[in-house]
Amino acid sequence: MQLSDRITGGVLVVLGAAAAWGGSRLPAVPGQEVGPAAFPMLIGCGLIACGALIIFGIGRSFEAEEAPDTPHPWWYGLRALVPPALLLFYVLASETLGFLLTAALMILAGALTLGARWRLAVPLAVILPFLIHLAFYKLLRVPLPGGLLTAPW
Amino acid sequence: MELLEAVRLVAAPDVMLAILASAIYGLVVGSLPGLSATMATALLVPVTFWLSPIAAVATIITASAMAIFSGDIPGCLLRIPGTPASAAYTDEAYALTRKGQAELALGAGLWFSAIGGIVGTLSLVLMAPVLAEMALSFSTFEYFWLAFLGLMCATLVARSSPIKAIASMLLGLLVSCIGMENPAGTPRFTFGVPDLLGGIEAIPALVGVFAVSEVMRAMVTPEPPKLPDRKFGSILANQWTLTKKYQWPMWRGNIIGIIIGVLPGAGADMAAWVSYAMSKKFSREKEKFGTGHPEGLVEAGASNNASLASGWVPSLLFGIPGDTITAIAIGVLYMKGLNPGPTLFTENARSMYALYIIFILANIIMIPLGILMIRMASQVLRAPRAAIMPVILVMCAVGSFATGSNLFSVLLVGLFGCLGFVMERNGYPVAALVLGIVMGSMVEQNFITSLIKSDGDVLPFIERPVSGVLAAMTFGALLWPLGVWIWNRVQGPRLPAGRAAE
Repeated sequence: MQLSDRITGGVLVVLGAAAAWGGSRLPAVPGQEVGPAAFPMLIGCGLIACGALIIFGIGRSFEAEEAPDTPHPWWYGLRALVPPALLLFYVLASETLGFLLTAALMILAGALTLGARWRLAVPLAVILPFLIHLAFYKLLRVPLPGGLLTAPW
Repeated sequence: MELLEAVRLVAAPDVMLAILASAIYGLVVGSLPGLSATMATALLVPVTFWLSPIAAVATIITASAMAIFSGDIPGCLLRIPGTPASAAYTDEAYALTRKGQAELALGAGLWFSAIGGIVGTLSLVLMAPVLAEMALSFSTFEYFWLAFLGLMCATLVARSSPIKAIASMLLGLLVSCIGMENPAGTPRFTFGVPDLLGGIEAIPALVGVFAVSEVMRAMVTPEPPKLPDRKFGSILANQWTLTKKYQWPMWRGNIIGIIIGVLPGAGADMAAWVSYAMSKKFSREKEKFGTGHPEGLVEAGASNNASLASGWVPSLLFGIPGDTITAIAIGVLYMKGLNPGPTLFTENARSMYALYIIFILANIIMIPLGILMIRMASQVLRAPRAAIMPVILVMCAVGSFATGSNLFSVLLVGLFGCLGFVMERNGYPVAALVLGIVMGSMVEQNFITSLIKSDGDVLPFIERPVSGVLAAMTFGALLWPLGVWIWNRVQGPRLPAGRAAE
């Protein structure tokens, strides 16, 4: 997701303004000049300044040029959203489905998005969750949700 | 006596096993393109939960040292740096490979990495106790400047706009404001979400920014080319000749690495860039650089590993990370009851000795294990990305759940992954963001307490000799890009600072 400096700089200015405004509304500590508001307001002002400089393209000369992207269909970039979506899936499903099933689905989806054939993706999704479960649950005693399918150990 | 005790601590079977396992882990992860040393360390954190303090620290030290070295392997063979710290000299190493001297390039990476690591460790051993003595007299003013200096150094990343780096750092500081972990204990920016009251932990943020965003990037980049099978000759042949021939560049690399490592906030990537540029500038055979000349490899290879060890100096003494790897290490130290601070060296000397021994040990076993890794590189690098990336994603979920024991941190990991991905794409350095998050509450705590102590006066901030020097260094770091810019203007059009190496 390549955005222009105007957009990212603009976002920073808005964020900085919001931080400064939000900070200024924090209740002060009675009898003290500097309270919890000082630091967010300082950061907010800094962000506004940086955002403005970025909008005007100052400091660009320091950046290394990026290699031009090869053309892709518009949905190609959306594939980047698969990992966070899978993490969201873990948050929502791991308690009910249990670790083994959730991890298997995550690995299957991830491998397929990365262009693996079914012949590779299915065995990976079957074997790897057990190995990860063994390593974390058994050896390292990290708590993992049991859910529908519990491990044999 | 305490040294013997330390040897006994390190020789315990669980510690030895931890060192060996994390060495292999570090070598493999570091050699896979796109998986950085920081990420290798971040994924280790949940593992360290269940280890003894010494074993936990040992895994971090060993894995990070190995990963920084093994990042050279794909850089040399495929022209894809395995870790950002190898990026500075990837072209040079690849040029050597094309000349048919892959052994020389890989051997130099290995040999001088180990030397750099050991010299860096010695600097840690010598410097830390002296500085600890000094640090005992530090007040909030000095701590404020140190933390601020660390933040400014984190923005001096080569190849990015300093303004964007400062913006990233401020964003990190803003994230650290969330919650009620501030001097007044007032909930800030929680938006009524109870999970945010405790603030945002550094570990989910780190895992998200360094691991999840890397998986995201893999989704939209073509798979790196496969490594052709090849037989290597002797890896260490000629390294002794190189050592003698380039003795002076080697020491310069070590020293630059140590200095950059000790500076809070600046780490191995920057050490490698600066050393490579330095090597080129002072070389008698400048024209050979870029055509497969080992001199720059010697200097920069030693430098990045030296900085790794000396990066522990500010971390152990002040709890201020020397780079992103030690930022993780500090979290582990707190978790294990080895709270960083000058008293660590007086009251817990044997743990410190044990730490030194682990460093030396890690750099020694790096040589045989590294040779093994080089010989197996074509097999390891053939592992399909479609198998590795999903596993890393699952490990991110498991690991972040383990650190927070709630699913909210898994959600945070995903959010920070998106943030890191977008920032990286647009030239905002994520290391500055992470250091802002890690050091935010420390900066604020010391800043506000200092302001209250001084009654809003600025003078006490620079009155004491040490704080005065630190303040000068901080403003030097702040004004450095401006200086480079003016210098370029005066000298006519020249390459900007970070690209002088090319």
